[in-house]
Amino acid sequence: MKMIKRMKLGKYTPGTSIIHQLDPRTKLLGWLAVVTAILISYSWPVLLLNTGLIFMVIYLSKTSLSSILHGIKWLWIIFICSFLAQCIYTQGVPLFSLGPLTVTVEGVFRGLSTFLRLLILFLSSTILTMTTSPMKLAGGLESLFAPLIHLGVPVNQFAMLITISLRFIPTLLEEAETITKAQKSRGAPFTSPKKLVRLKSSLAVLIPLVVSSLQRATDLATAMESRCYTGGPHHSRTRKLRFCRCDLAALLISITVSILPLLCIYGMGLQVQSLQNLR
Amino acid sequence: MQGIQLQNVTKEYANSQGQKVCALKAVNLSIRPGEFVGIAGKNGSGKTTLARLLNGLLLPSDGRVIVNGMDTRQRRYIKEIRRQVAMVFQNPDNQLVSPVIEEEIAFGPENLDLTEEEIERRVDEVLQIVGLSELRHLSPHMLSGGQKQRVAIAAVLAMRPAYLVLDEPTSMLDQTGRRGILDYLRKLNRRQGITIILISHNMEDLAGADRIILLQEGSIVYDAPPWEAFNRENKIKPPNIVRLAQMLRKSGYLLDEKITTLEQMENSICRLLKSTT
Repeated sequence: MKMIKRMKLGKYTPGTSIIHQLDPRTKLLGWLAVVTAILISYSWPVLLLNTGLIFMVIYLSKTSLSSILHGIKWLWIIFICSFLAQCIYTQGVPLFSLGPLTVTVEGVFRGLSTFLRLLILFLSSTILTMTTSPMKLAGGLESLFAPLIHLGVPVNQFAMLITISLRFIPTLLEEAETITKAQKSRGAPFTSPKKLVRLKSSLAVLIPLVVSSLQRATDLATAMESRCYTGGPHHSRTRKLRFCRCDLAALLISITVSILPLLCIYGMGLQVQSLQNLR
Repeated sequence: MQGIQLQNVTKEYANSQGQKVCALKAVNLSIRPGEFVGIAGKNGSGKTTLARLLNGLLLPSDGRVIVNGMDTRQRRYIKEIRRQVAMVFQNPDNQLVSPVIEEEIAFGPENLDLTEEEIERRVDEVLQIVGLSELRHLSPHMLSGGQKQRVAIAAVLAMRPAYLVLDEPTSMLDQTGRRGILDYLRKLNRRQGITIILISHNMEDLAGADRIILLQEGSIVYDAPPWEAFNRENKIKPPNIVRLAQMLRKSGYLLDEKITTLEQMENSICRLLKSTT
């Protein structure tokens, strides 16, 4: 069970807050809006508005900020590295020099904005998975992608795929642990100080795990077939979704905050350009 | 015509060396509605092949399998045949599809294109029957082996089958889990009238059946009520209770020859005591 505990990042924590109760589709679309906004635009108003939005959502979801930030752990290194790289490599007005390296004012701003974008990306995804159960998420995805069925995309099968993976993650983790113990008891050097030896011994877990997964897959396919599964839609999940007034409000807010400024900025940019062209 | 009939069924398949292996040889068998049939045999005797022929997972190389008048080789019947002949497998972990128990049970009815209300009604009903109502929102991996197997049975019961085929359902369970499943199967057979076809190499599992079919190298070598099979057939190792009855009979106690379960042993001893006093 130790391994399951280790999977902290964005683990679903049940709750009754307004964010928990929102329709998964609302949350998915809201998340998409925020991510698109920050990936398209570097501008400060957009970044700050989105940061504000994310923190408001975290506040409303009543999940503790510390437990969310706890998941960042190693990501801090990436955050800081990217910040430093931006500081140094951006051309512009020099702020101060450290040996051969020169930090520029533009660099610091760039770095800060990159940092904020990464943070938003991380926080928005974490809050999405923390407040939405995997099954609801799968149902939401199935319902959102349903139109693609007309284009011949096997949306239902993909949703089934997600469901089955969710079902089998704990089973496979348990199995991995059993195999690890079995190999350890036969003297596999899992704790060897040499990295290469450790890597090789983990292969001794991976191969039996893959083999047994294939057996499981065959068994499961037989069981599903004998229960009349033919790859059709999985209705009970998608039909249970309810899009209420709350959802509409939440969706409007998130789109206003994240997409509207984007449009304004691009609109203005185009105007400026056309003015310049006139001159 | 009601029931399941196997007429001259032969099943061949190619093994890993490409040689033809005969898993079943010209088997004739008839299973009547409401029966409790036990199928016994060693590994490789054709038990699993026989089970999988019953709902069209496998098709016979020769001969016919007929379920309530429908031939399994005809594709248009296959969905109805699979609805009527439900199958439960050995490993409970490898037959559960969904991460939530109630959705697991809804899986079969959904594939039958039932309405939402009907699916919900069946999920409630079946959960009540197996006594797992309180666990409905949990994930199957949190349950014990016996509970998982009960979920697997519940999941196929939601399709309202007439026949329930179980391929070694107790072999991965502990003693308590095994007892629970067996008692439960007997209840289903008696109260709901569901035909049970139980495959097991454990004779104690089969002691409560109406008849035992013994398979050997792809042929039926014996088809008789359990008491007869246990007492007269030397290819079967009888359960302990039967051996005890045999020993007591040898020592001169006039016990009933039909004893195969603890219950029957109890009744028989009581009768004996009453007649002597």
